[in-house]
Amino acid sequence: MQDLNIAASTSSPSIQTDWSAGMVRLGGDSYPENAFELFRPLLDWVGAYLGSDHGPLQLELRLLYLNTSSIRIMMDVLDQLEAAHGQGRAVSLRWFYDSRNARVADLAEEFREDCSFPFEIVAE
Amino acid sequence: MSTQPDSREGLERDVEAALADPATSAPVLQALLGGLYDGYRERGAMMARLMRIADQYQLAERERGQTFAQRYERQLRQLEKIVRISDQYQHMLRELNNELQRTASHDLLTGLYNRRYLFDRLTAEQAKAARGQDSFAVAMADIDFFKQINDRFGHDVGDAALCHVASVMAGPLREYDLCGRWGGEEFLLLFPGGDMAAAERAIVRIREQLRAEPFVHDGESCTLTLSFGCTAYREGETITETLKRVDEALYRAKSTGRDRLERV
Repeated sequence: MQDLNIAASTSSPSIQTDWSAGMVRLGGDSYPENAFELFRPLLDWVGAYLGSDHGPLQLELRLLYLNTSSIRIMMDVLDQLEAAHGQGRAVSLRWFYDSRNARVADLAEEFREDCSFPFEIVAE
Repeated sequence: MSTQPDSREGLERDVEAALADPATSAPVLQALLGGLYDGYRERGAMMARLMRIADQYQLAERERGQTFAQRYERQLRQLEKIVRISDQYQHMLRELNNELQRTASHDLLTGLYNRRYLFDRLTAEQAKAARGQDSFAVAMADIDFFKQINDRFGHDVGDAALCHVASVMAGPLREYDLCGRWGGEEFLLLFPGGDMAAAERAIVRIREQLRAEPFVHDGESCTLTLSFGCTAYREGETITETLKRVDEALYRAKSTGRDRLERV
């Protein structure tokens, strides 16, 4: 599977994947016009990675603002992780936030609610 | 076995004939009864099989219905969560927006209006006056010997002195008068709908208040004073011209002894 290296724009986050390290990094604001189009490669990548027997998967998020459809996609990604975790796969997520904007931590907390895999919220 | 409809009908006819004839012998009746019993068993077995199949269909439908209900419940929960998170993001943006608006119009140190906001308001007042509506007065104030405070005690104390003066200045103003930090230790007062006399009354109150509330640093109290220049808007002039005049008045107040008001 080819890795993704999509640069951030004013309305979309940066998306980076590293198959050999089992790492996905997202950062920035996300209010694209078509979130499904933007994130489709990511959902496919995560699906393919979790479908392989490659090893643990780690997500590092530095997301600030998400519009409604981006929230929906994030929840789909978390569902993918949760399902993999349920099958004994090692998955983890770290959500980094600027300590001056504690609201982002509250939001990450909301996302974490239904997740039973390791999900850390880290101030920077 | 009498499974075919025509043979079943044949059996029924034979039974009817045997029953109608009082001379029918027992072995004939026995054979007929045997045939009837086989048919009865067969139909019972078929009925039981039909019921089993019907029950299985019913069960499958029920399970399908439950799966739908569960899936619906799950999607509803997910949707509610998306809405909740989305609302929170909107709330966050609104707060950020308010904060941005505040920083765009207010001075970070003193909390007074900043130069940009004051300039917008001056322009608006000038436009109103040009339309023949209310005129306005402007005053410029400068803290006397501020440089000495900064040099002697450092910028932290200088900043505290600025905040002290700012809080005292805003107090005696009417609610529609504006006070802002023009830059450095300079403040601008705008009196919408006011004339020179209204400005002077406010300035007198500010000077009294400053004397009544000295600046205290390290247990030591120090009375701060202000020099003022003050003017009323003159019909037809630009804001730059008004500001230039008030600036010159302030300069005169400074050069002729400080702690005083110069009108022009």
